[in-house]
Amino acid sequence: MSVQKSWAELQKMHRACRIVVDTLGALAEAAAPGVSTRELDRIARERIEREGARPAFLGYRGYPATLCISVNDEVVHGIPGERRLEEGDIVGLDLGCVVDGFYGDAARTVGVGRVSDEARRLMGVTEEALRAGIAACRPGQRVGDIGHAVQTHAEASGYSVVREFVGHGIGTSLHEEPQVPNYGPPGRRQRLVPGMCLAIEPMVNVGGPAVRVLEDGWTAVTVDGSLSAHFELSVAVTEEGPWILSEPYPYGRERQSHA
Amino acid sequence: MPRVADGAGPGAAATPAAIEVPGTVLESLPNALYRVQLETEARPQVVAHVSGAAALRRILPGEGVVVELLAYDSGRGRIVRRRF
Repeated sequence: MSVQKSWAELQKMHRACRIVVDTLGALAEAAAPGVSTRELDRIARERIEREGARPAFLGYRGYPATLCISVNDEVVHGIPGERRLEEGDIVGLDLGCVVDGFYGDAARTVGVGRVSDEARRLMGVTEEALRAGIAACRPGQRVGDIGHAVQTHAEASGYSVVREFVGHGIGTSLHEEPQVPNYGPPGRRQRLVPGMCLAIEPMVNVGGPAVRVLEDGWTAVTVDGSLSAHFELSVAVTEEGPWILSEPYPYGRERQSHA
Repeated sequence: MPRVADGAGPGAAATPAAIEVPGTVLESLPNALYRVQLETEARPQVVAHVSGAAALRRILPGEGVVVELLAYDSGRGRIVRRRF
């Protein structure tokens, strides 16, 4: 069961998520042909530290960098290094930070220069699938409804969703209960209650859903070599509905309690 | 950063690898347990309880059954179905 956060705690989540998403915006602009993935990692780290936050992934279960960069057929957990981005690549940028004890976690996939129509469509469908999942984040719904919404949207577009990695509760740890799969039947799993915070993160492949992890122990790639995209936002369940924590509270200022 | 799913993959819901072996019921014990003679050499006999579907009718000594054993030895098995 995910811990329910107080209004004050949600404000702290909001701050952490704001830093992450702002930094992702800067990284998206910096992702140009010829730029190395290590350079993007450096930009991310400097920006996060300048904001008074700390990278959440660095050292997490031994992960060696601030940013996860997953290019083309890489699904998630790509480690920054010497690789230089090329025109037409699609680049998954996944970033987390911790500030004042609370974690923010978000990801987006961006194209480098001009990308193929298929790549553009994949990124659009994946982001829409994320939005569909977020829309399911209402009190009384269940965690399974989120995954069902994501899967339904992705598969209606002819794509497949990755099973081996899942979204997660988030708060004073990067990964909290519950797990949030991007697939499965509706009406199952934990009931959503106000104050829960979830990182929802569809990973969508053009081809089959199968992935494997490379010898570095982190980088996940599609088994069939097809393109993969990844979008993620951290969301709080409130009585009024979902609150995307990187954005201002959307249901009016007078409301000071979610409970 | 996505979390690695527990028991990664669909339908892999946290079930440790189980093997099924054929056997014959030797005797009926209290608490709906049975002592089963297995047709494998590693573990000739186990005490087994009965899975839901197989429990619909009482199992009598001498009946052939299929017993599920967990890969790690708990000393117990589970009768999953009858064998004819």
